[in-house]
Amino acid sequence: MLDLQAVSKHFGGVRAVDGVDLTVARGQILGLIGPNGSGKSTIVNLICGLFPLTSGRIVYNGADIADLPPHARVTMGIARTFQNIRLFGQLTVWQNLWVAQNSSEQRKQNFLKRWLGGSRSAREEIDRTLEFFDLAHKRDELAGNLAFGEQRRLEFARALSAKPALLLLDEPAAGMNAEEIDQLDGRIRRMRQDGITVLLIEHHVELVMSVADRIAVLNFGQKIAEGTPAAVQANPVVREAYLGTAAAA
Amino acid sequence: MDDYLIGVLSNIGVISFIALSAYLLLLTGEISFGQQAFFAIGAYAAGIATALWGWPLALALVWGAAIGGAAAVLVGIPTLRLHGLYFAIATLAFAEMVRILFELFRYQITIDGELVGPDGADGFRNIRYIFDNNIDAFQFLLLIYALLAVVLLGFVLLERSRLGVIFRMIGEDETLAGLQGVSIAHHKVLAAGISGALAGIGGGLYAHLTTYVEPRIFDVMLGVHSLAYGLIGGLGTALGPLLGVLIDIGVLESIRALSGYRMIIFGGLVALLLIVRPRGLLDENVVHKIGRFWRRISPWARRPGLNTGNRNNLTGGRP
Amino acid sequence: MRSIICTAAAIAMLALCGLEGAHAQVRAKAGVTCKPGTEKLQYDCIIKLANSKTNEPLSGLTLTVGADMPSMPAAHNVRPVGAAEDQEKGTYKARIVLEMYGDWALRLDLSGPVRDRVVKRLRFERDRVGETTPARAPGRHRH
Repeated sequence: MLDLQAVSKHFGGVRAVDGVDLTVARGQILGLIGPNGSGKSTIVNLICGLFPLTSGRIVYNGADIADLPPHARVTMGIARTFQNIRLFGQLTVWQNLWVAQNSSEQRKQNFLKRWLGGSRSAREEIDRTLEFFDLAHKRDELAGNLAFGEQRRLEFARALSAKPALLLLDEPAAGMNAEEIDQLDGRIRRMRQDGITVLLIEHHVELVMSVADRIAVLNFGQKIAEGTPAAVQANPVVREAYLGTAAAA
Repeated sequence: MDDYLIGVLSNIGVISFIALSAYLLLLTGEISFGQQAFFAIGAYAAGIATALWGWPLALALVWGAAIGGAAAVLVGIPTLRLHGLYFAIATLAFAEMVRILFELFRYQITIDGELVGPDGADGFRNIRYIFDNNIDAFQFLLLIYALLAVVLLGFVLLERSRLGVIFRMIGEDETLAGLQGVSIAHHKVLAAGISGALAGIGGGLYAHLTTYVEPRIFDVMLGVHSLAYGLIGGLGTALGPLLGVLIDIGVLESIRALSGYRMIIFGGLVALLLIVRPRGLLDENVVHKIGRFWRRISPWARRPGLNTGNRNNLTGGRP
Repeated sequence: MRSIICTAAAIAMLALCGLEGAHAQVRAKAGVTCKPGTEKLQYDCIIKLANSKTNEPLSGLTLTVGADMPSMPAAHNVRPVGAAEDQEKGTYKARIVLEMYGDWALRLDLSGPVRDRVVKRLRFERDRVGETTPARAPGRHRH
């Protein structure tokens, strides 16, 4: 589904991402791990189009999307969340989801309905999403006034409202407690059941090992290993670069 | 009604259009020091239409709005790539250019034995439509406020619409808005066009209200003020810039004791508010609270009904 | 919501249509001379009104004189004062008080038998009243 071919991104002399090949198969959860500064978040930013590539190709569903603007990639079904939560704090919870909503059904609606409040089914869909993420009671609250955990859930809800085929999760567990991580684990699994392909970037190794089908490991902008969770865990290179230091700490 | 009061109210109404025009751009996060250019273009276009071509006022105002909007789109396409300070400077430069062009602009024809039309720096006098058609000051005041009401209604609809939400999104976080599938460039040019048209209507009304315009009316002071109205009054609702106009022209101007110090008070007020309330008196939070309060006390307010659909059919299971 | 829009649009259209009235044919022209009065920022003006085509003096009108500062539209609007007609037909006298020195546009509003507005630009200084400065000349009034 998504194919990164020899992707590089250099910031001046810094090789944030250096010739990475990465393949995410349809319906799969690919975990991407690596120490701080290994280039994980840069890869997400490259996939959703926030920076131009230095070199390489990003192939999505058979087409090279490397030159498309971010909004065009979203309409192709790529959605993401942010490591440090980014919401529209001056808009209500409901409005945050409304604009993100990108269902084929909504595109069919007549002009007035689409621009003034959305169709009934579109509104109901938002309400359902809000309930699913336990945010229904905050529907008309400004997103900026939500508590941290609620903001995380809202960001997740917004990404799902876009009905993505490929979801990029950038450290979704950051700042969460054990119970919340457990819920997150469940939500990610159910997204796979719904046929959403997920690229999961995460520091929290347990979570990645638990949900990911395959894991790729980055270090200094290069991919140093890839395989099943068990294989990666057993890989001595990985242990040294990443898990080893974690174990020693 | 007292003539002076009618005059002040008319001024408040007319200036509200350019304040709303700057407000719309502020919503999308752009600070324009150049809205006076579209006000000027609207004023000259509408004035020429009635005084030289004999058009009816309604058509002339629409024409002024159309020309103002078209000019704003043409300017917007190259300048909206710029951000922040660069955009502000580009709009300022454009507006000064327009003003100087109007100082050179001569287009006069003889009507009833008199030369009528823009005469460069000497201005454009005898936009006599309201006198030729026996419209008194009070009727013109009603016209201004009827149009303002229509524009405000448009803003109410905009704020409730997807387009309004998109404008606010772009203003708050352009990158994030792009990641919601919103084309930033298209929406910014659209906002620029609408705001140019609003300024154009205001200019057309101004020209017919005062019956004369001259290039120096449209200097940067006007642009700075129109920008400040939104920043003082608040960016949470279209009533914010109107509140700003009311504070400036209505209160500061009308209290004679203050009039000599008006610019000092106004400038101080802007500086103070930018520190204490960066998004103005009626900012999003205040507007939101008022809205919530209204929903609570009002029996007619639409209650957000939670629908009865199966809460778990989003992804097929319990969270 | 749609009905509100329609109603508002209808009101606006009616307001615009209602404005199309009969044509008033008489146009005025004015000569204005002002000189500084006894107090600061006070000026005494003599205004001669005439029919712009026939040059006949226009007598028996109600004349109010207001002033705008072109460099700041819609602000500094000086409260209009009434002008009294003199012995001589078509000659009116008014005393205005401005807010500051500089270029002003005097707005002469005529009502009564003839309704019209004439705008005269003058430069008001401490000790004299003269022609306005060219728009881009140095030393023009700025805030």
